Amino acid sequence: MIDRLTAALAASRADFTEIRVEQAWTSAVTMRGRRLESATANEDQGGFVRALNRGSGWGTASFTSLDQLTAMVARADELSRAVRLERPIRLGEVVPQQAEAILDLDGDVRGVPLAEKKRLIEAYNGAMLAVSDRIVDTLASYRDEVSEYWYVNSEGAVLHELRPEVTLSGTAVARRDGTIEKGLESIGLRRGWHSVQDKAAGFRAAAERAVQLLDAPTVTGGTYPVVLDPELAGVFIHEAFGHLSEADFVYENPQAREMMTLGRRFGKPVLNVGDNGAAGGLRGTLPFDDEGTPTQDSALVREGILVGRLHSRETAAAMNERPTGNARAISFRHPPIVRMTNTYIANGRGSFADLIRDLKLGVYACGAFGGQTMLENFSFTAAYGHMIRDGEVAELVKDVVLAGNLFQTLDRIEHIAGDFRWNQMGGGCGKGGQFPLPVTEGAPHVRIEEALIGGDLPPA
Amino acid sequence: MIDGVLELARRRLDQGDGADALERRVERTSVTFEWGRLKAAGVTEEAGVNLRVLHRGRVGIAGTTNVDAQHAAPLLDRALASAELGEEIDLAFPSRAKLPRVTTHVARTAEASLARLIEIGQFLLDRLTREGCQVNVAIEREVAETWVANTAGAAGSYRSTGVAVSADVWRIAGDDVLAIGDAIESTDLPAEDALEGVVRSITHRLDHALRIVAPPEGALPVVFTPAGLSAVLLPVTQGLSGKAVLQGISPLATRMGEQVFDQRLSLTDDPLAPGRAASRPLDDEGVPSRSTCLVERGVVQHFIYDLETAARAKTASTGHGQRGIFGKPVPGYTNILLGDTAGEGGRGKGTWQGELGGGLLSDVRDGLLVDDLIGVGQGNVIGGAFSHPVALAYRIERGEIAGRVKDAAVAGNVYELLKRIAGVGNDARWTGARFTPSLLLEGVAVARR
Repeated sequence: MIDRLTAALAASRADFTEIRVEQAWTSAVTMRGRRLESATANEDQGGFVRALNRGSGWGTASFTSLDQLTAMVARADELSRAVRLERPIRLGEVVPQQAEAILDLDGDVRGVPLAEKKRLIEAYNGAMLAVSDRIVDTLASYRDEVSEYWYVNSEGAVLHELRPEVTLSGTAVARRDGTIEKGLESIGLRRGWHSVQDKAAGFRAAAERAVQLLDAPTVTGGTYPVVLDPELAGVFIHEAFGHLSEADFVYENPQAREMMTLGRRFGKPVLNVGDNGAAGGLRGTLPFDDEGTPTQDSALVREGILVGRLHSRETAAAMNERPTGNARAISFRHPPIVRMTNTYIANGRGSFADLIRDLKLGVYACGAFGGQTMLENFSFTAAYGHMIRDGEVAELVKDVVLAGNLFQTLDRIEHIAGDFRWNQMGGGCGKGGQFPLPVTEGAPHVRIEEALIGGDLPPA
Repeated sequence: MIDGVLELARRRLDQGDGADALERRVERTSVTFEWGRLKAAGVTEEAGVNLRVLHRGRVGIAGTTNVDAQHAAPLLDRALASAELGEEIDLAFPSRAKLPRVTTHVARTAEASLARLIEIGQFLLDRLTREGCQVNVAIEREVAETWVANTAGAAGSYRSTGVAVSADVWRIAGDDVLAIGDAIESTDLPAEDALEGVVRSITHRLDHALRIVAPPEGALPVVFTPAGLSAVLLPVTQGLSGKAVLQGISPLATRMGEQVFDQRLSLTDDPLAPGRAASRPLDDEGVPSRSTCLVERGVVQHFIYDLETAARAKTASTGHGQRGIFGKPVPGYTNILLGDTAGEGGRGKGTWQGELGGGLLSDVRDGLLVDDLIGVGQGNVIGGAFSHPVALAYRIERGEIAGRVKDAAVAGNVYELLKRIAGVGNDARWTGARFTPSLLLEGVAVARR
């Protein structure tokens, strides 16, 4: 394959050319209720060429037929030449890497029969169904992938990787009369078959929570001190802050650049935020990004001050900063764009009990059904919550929606506990039509002094 | 490839077994203007086959992007292996039927040069550029060919074209970030008046957004624009899916034939709507397309089904099978139209018709106009309760737009709110695959923070 790719590169007329080729084996088993919804094994393969010429823009070509490789290299060059630019695109310097990176497959999923994968997810699905006859519906999925990956560019980079991934997800739906509640479980690992054994407990807990939520009152909307559990805190920092750190948002937008000026204070000295594509064994971890740049740990906020951002080669050059290894594509169907990897709020000090001890009334928001940001505004739906009363975790509440303004909310984080953990979840991040990109988030418990909880809005 | 793989399946399968397949070839051309300048042009060429077999009463699925003839046998092997594990189902593949006529392919769209696509983008960029703002524009043209066939004799194929044009204008002033966008899509290249419509839609909303006012608070009348209606309609369309009904999670499951909504609410799914990218003569399982009345004058009429969901629910497919290359078919909507679909003057134009709110503002003393919400689709959607911060909303005072509101949230339950529609706007337009006017709903909870 490498010879084929380097030959195609050699034939390119463009000033810069890169080629990515992927071959992926995936299998998936989904159970719904007591039924098997589907059990499939698929093969997907294709390539992506990107070309750049002086005085021109990017030309790209993606394709599923590898016979088209040489034609597509020529096509990308042609498209690049059709895009005339006054200000040229420059690429940040990266030492061309030659590497063979075969990640630990940890029990190669390709060697496990589909029937065995079905038995595994059937058992986890059964664990949810067995919780209560209030569980009226479940959805449980097993999905694995091994992808073989090649990257070459005209500067001399030659990469060959084998990347495993396995995810489990469960949704339990509980119902009583007109009330419907759900509980979620999600596990996503850049590992193999061995890593997803003995995971029934999490599925059972999701179903138990769905049943408990049937009796839980809706949280009363209003402004509270809010404590985020590590999962929701991780989703928060990814969605609300991480996306603004992606340099493609700011690099050619003077107003955005001003808003995200390095050195600006974003939070109290207790706040430290980063993105680490090189962290060991996580789903967002890879040795190189999709431009062949080695991944790294990038500090974004240090003691409350904005100190860095995430770059592709293009955005780094435009801002006279260094590439950070954050140019990623979800597959050969897409160009690499600036993305997060493993994004985190770093550890603070003390325990969860310390964090809530002096709160008379507050909300403990846990897990995430979803989160969305629109620029500086965000909305997160917690999977469930508890009231905090007199320094203790009190009753379960539901429909906990946390909404706010990013800048205000970051500034209101005054206490961060010392109980950091990575959330090894499935799903992924979406941006620019590319979903799902494997990412990980991590955080300790985080306390926001004041935030709007919009569950039941108070009646007029 | 599908004729070959189905022929192979006929030879390998037993009496009473069956198979169906979909093959799709797509070529996409895109041009991207980023932060005020043309940055990239790209093509995508993709082909794939999705095969389903019914073997000894069990269903198996397999997909591949390797569409050469020699890959037919391994594809069939994988589908049969998948069927080994499948649940039993009494699935019947449709037989050959006459297909309705619908224009899905416009030659000049397929033939449009890259230069022509760049010209469209440049036009929007030039018209939208203004001091202190940044503009992004994307144009994507798709040319596709789809084949669907089964072992029971049903077969159909069609070529299709689609053009999606989107633009957004960003204005950042201090920590106030404002982004206002619009998008149009069609089987045909957009005419200049359609592009002008995008420009007017964006600039009109931008002009009104420059002034920021305090949000109102309480249970208030709220005008939801065609784009803003997403949060209100999503629970309803989810509840009308036969799959949700079968799972027992749809609040509409037991309400067939009942007056659930205001008389002014009618919903139709129309796969034959002219000029729309989602239109097609048959669905992805070979069932001929026809219009399905979902809700008529507030009364629930039909749920949508694909073959398998219909078989489990002991009913017939409504022709809503949708399948990709790798998964199994699922029920999915095509074009959803709200309102009295027969008499809409502006139908199909999808362009900006005039004032924000479609004439509904004059009835509002103090309220909100909602154009975009944050977090739609999150949480427990199907139950009907929603609670979202606004992304783009305006305060209405004494029948006029007073300015943009920030830091406000709206909440309610769509099953309560849609019992009474206080007003239907005259501004019906396409937003993606949905054709709706603005609606005025009363008693929507509005909170500020």
